[in-house]
Amino acid sequence: MQTKIITLSATVLFLPLLLMAQARHTVSGTVRDAASGETLIGASIFLLERPHSAVLSNAYGFYSLSAPPGNYHLIVSFTGYRSDTIPVSLDHDLTNPIQLTPGAPQLQEVVVTGNRNANNVTKPLMGVQKLSINEIKDIPVIFGEKDILKTIQLLPGVQSAGDGNSGFYVRGGSVDQNLILLDEATVYNPSHLLGFFSTFNSDAIKDVTLYKGAIPAEYGGRLASVLDVRMNDGNDKGFHGSGGIGLISSRLELEGPIEKDNGSWIVSARRTYADLFLKLSKDTNTNRSSLYFYDINAKANYKLGEKDRLYLSGYFGKDNLGLGNTFGLDYGNTTATLRWNHIFNSRLFSNTSFIYSKYYYNITVNDANNNIGINSNIRDLHFKEDLQYYANADNKINFGIDVTHHTTSPGVITASQSSSFNGLTIQSKYALESAVYFSHDLSIGNAVNINYGLRAGLFTVFGPGNFYTYDSAGNAIDTATYTSGQVVKNYFNLEPRFSMSYKLNDVSSMKISYTRTTQNLHLLSNSTSSNPTDVWIPSSNNVKPEIADQVSLGYYRNFDDNRYEFSTEVYYRSMQNQIDYKNGAQLVANENVESQLIFGKGRSYGLEMFLKKKFGQFTGWVSYTLSRTERQFAGINNYSWYPANQDRTHDISIVGVYKINSKWTLSGDFVYYTGNAVTWPVGKYDVNGKVVWLYGQRNTSRMPPYNRLDIGATLQGKKTKKFDSNWNFSVYNVYGRQNPYSIVFQQDPGDPSKTQAVRWALFRWVPSVTYNFKF
Amino acid sequence: MRRIIPILLLLCSCQKVVTLQLNNAPPQLVIEGNVTDGLQPDTVKIMRSVNFYADNTFPMVSGASVTISDNTGVTDHLTETSPGVYITSTLQGKPGNTYNLSVVVNDTTYSASSTMPLLVPLDSITFRSSNRFNRSQINAVANFQDPPGVKNYYRFQEYINGTPFTKDIFVFDDRLSDGKYIQYELDMDSIYLYVGDQLKVDMYCVEKNDYDYFFQLLRSSGTGTFNTNASPANPSTNISNGAYGYFSAHTDRSKTVAVY
Repeated sequence: MQTKIITLSATVLFLPLLLMAQARHTVSGTVRDAASGETLIGASIFLLERPHSAVLSNAYGFYSLSAPPGNYHLIVSFTGYRSDTIPVSLDHDLTNPIQLTPGAPQLQEVVVTGNRNANNVTKPLMGVQKLSINEIKDIPVIFGEKDILKTIQLLPGVQSAGDGNSGFYVRGGSVDQNLILLDEATVYNPSHLLGFFSTFNSDAIKDVTLYKGAIPAEYGGRLASVLDVRMNDGNDKGFHGSGGIGLISSRLELEGPIEKDNGSWIVSARRTYADLFLKLSKDTNTNRSSLYFYDINAKANYKLGEKDRLYLSGYFGKDNLGLGNTFGLDYGNTTATLRWNHIFNSRLFSNTSFIYSKYYYNITVNDANNNIGINSNIRDLHFKEDLQYYANADNKINFGIDVTHHTTSPGVITASQSSSFNGLTIQSKYALESAVYFSHDLSIGNAVNINYGLRAGLFTVFGPGNFYTYDSAGNAIDTATYTSGQVVKNYFNLEPRFSMSYKLNDVSSMKISYTRTTQNLHLLSNSTSSNPTDVWIPSSNNVKPEIADQVSLGYYRNFDDNRYEFSTEVYYRSMQNQIDYKNGAQLVANENVESQLIFGKGRSYGLEMFLKKKFGQFTGWVSYTLSRTERQFAGINNYSWYPANQDRTHDISIVGVYKINSKWTLSGDFVYYTGNAVTWPVGKYDVNGKVVWLYGQRNTSRMPPYNRLDIGATLQGKKTKKFDSNWNFSVYNVYGRQNPYSIVFQQDPGDPSKTQAVRWALFRWVPSVTYNFKF
Repeated sequence: MRRIIPILLLLCSCQKVVTLQLNNAPPQLVIEGNVTDGLQPDTVKIMRSVNFYADNTFPMVSGASVTISDNTGVTDHLTETSPGVYITSTLQGKPGNTYNLSVVVNDTTYSASSTMPLLVPLDSITFRSSNRFNRSQINAVANFQDPPGVKNYYRFQEYINGTPFTKDIFVFDDRLSDGKYIQYELDMDSIYLYVGDQLKVDMYCVEKNDYDYFFQLLRSSGTGTFNTNASPANPSTNISNGAYGYFSAHTDRSKTVAVY
């Protein structure tokens, strides 16, 4: 009996390996859009005869699926495309490129693929939200500019940092705890025009994935979330263009083949011209002011052979704000990514990336005696090698290395001789962030899917430079000088990642996950709005890596042949080494900026619910988040837990898109959330004849709740083979609610014996019209 | 950022007075004490805070025992001349000397210490006019030589036609300007000076404590302009035992000019 048990357990234990050893053949290839040749990310592929072994195409459209010899039907489906069924006979390893035709799924197909197409249910990944550009194009947003960062704020667990702000909070994380990637390059400031626009021109974007729960081991460097944005590759069939003309911005995109079916290029550009209105002003200072941004996305790819493809992509954006000749601020991101896809064999896919990323700002001040320039930047050189091994239908292994060299130049001040200021160069900081990682996707039987992995990261701070030690009052008590390349500090962190799904039946599952993340670059910002002049600093001898541990538990269920998706998750996240600022901290151009910081803990927990209707005349979703985010710092509120600024009890978003007929599409979204935790006066007194405020405990008051309704309509023009156009109309904040942007406490101008609170609101009834075209 | 905010507000904004449910703290003791190298007697004011929606009349604290002593052995028991206002009789402020304040209210002693920095003379007051959003605005400029090699902190007080100007706080430190000839613009967001006004500018050379106190006040008091400080808090005081306010020994030099 005992022998039998041992044999049985050994068999169970080594089953995957036995299966690997069994004769199997592989079908692999790339999934593309039939019309444009664009690769499709996240398409679902499975064999009709072996339904539980579904795979998703990877970030380059590649898939690989193994099965014992036999005749099968390969079923391929992707949102917004007609599903395809391809007969395959697996008597040898097979390369099978797939082309899908855009269009709504036929009802029939839904039935055919129904219940087996529910990747959201079966895959172990939790807290993942995918958006396709098709899904967001009808959702009304401010200024009529469709915007992925504004749209993800409508998802559960993701909160807007404020009215018209591109910044967002994920599960209690702060704005800088989101890793924002554009073709793998880090985008340090995702905002244009102080946050009213995001840096992402949605014309140029193919796919957006937000990881807020179980973050795969290939990603690291930020605490709260990863937003992985992939750019379009360009049409490799023929030359095409598209664009849009709006009230305050316009955009144009051109694309075409380098060589038909073998390579393509794409360039997208946009510019705002809100500043043209300033030109109308009679005031010379105002009409010489500037207020615009532009950005350019460009990408090219070329097939070197059956197994190799090169991609080169870049982003360049710049904002320019100026007040006459006296003050100017310009800032922007630049990224470049060179990638090489290599298919070693039908089961082993490799991608090698060389990435450059830079964020900078320049300030110029010119007045009677002062000609001052301040500039600051952060630059990354990044190498990444990622390998994906599709061992068999039940085992996929992902491993690689990831090395980034960071240079931060916090500030250089140049000043004219007559200026009241001295020139100053704050020493640059150098760091190497390296990691190795692996993860294993594993299916056990029909019901259990597991993904486990580990990321081992080493953050090395090195010279040249002076590194200070501070006393509790923030005075430098010791200085250590390091030479170029000398190691100042090493931080080694292991980040385990685990997630598991258990399929309860064909349409529902339970999921559980645990994720540890660390962060070694920290954004210094002590204001409520996102400032382009906020500075990134690396971990150092004084600043320790931020560490977060998160557990989450979820229930997923699909209804009505997968027309409806429902999911709910609860999560708990604890955060160590969080950063706050001393009272009156000097963060700008300060050599000893680390002396201005204080460190503490954070925690966040909540419940998220999401119901989405995916198909039909009416689509949309409802998202609700109930959460609490708190911090604990020595010296604040007697070291008790207090609500973080981004603590919001309730956050609700409702999005609906209704296609009336082939001409008209109506859309709307409604947002409600609890006001931020804020510190308001608890009294007042007099200093030098000036009335000043008395403050009590931090963040014990609440801004009024925020709510807003936006509506939009799209009128489809006549569609010909050569030309397609539409008009998009929208109104932001239809009922004109004055959501407070800020509350200002001041002396009553009409009665000096009184003080008053004044609410400042932005954006009531912002209408916009955009004309979009495509040829 | 202070200069960017107006651009932001150009976009679209509206403001409205609102009545908020504010928490109220019990009245807090506030002590404001200055020792200067000028001629007038030095003053210590003691009051209590009131609720935000109360009138701006602050209960003065009478009957306190207030003394200031210096490091040369002089001890001055201050006399209460009007409720809550206490003045010196013998003490004379001198740069380099250290002053100790002691205030006893209801058997609790509040104390503070401050050393008067060395004098930096004020050369002149000039004016600069600029165009801001269709309006011409005049600001005063204080001109002086910052001494090299030492940390200096300055605070300025304006009096327009004899009335102290309290809408803004003007502080400056030489962190980025050590040893420079300083032309410091007393910059306000709104128009407050007109040609022909008599303007008196006091320049105080203050200690770091005083600078920090007023700088923090400026950052968190919401002076009527946009305040985006994420976590406003009380400025750190050099007075012990939980009293609010400050005690500062500083030099005091002033110039009076007609605005041009």
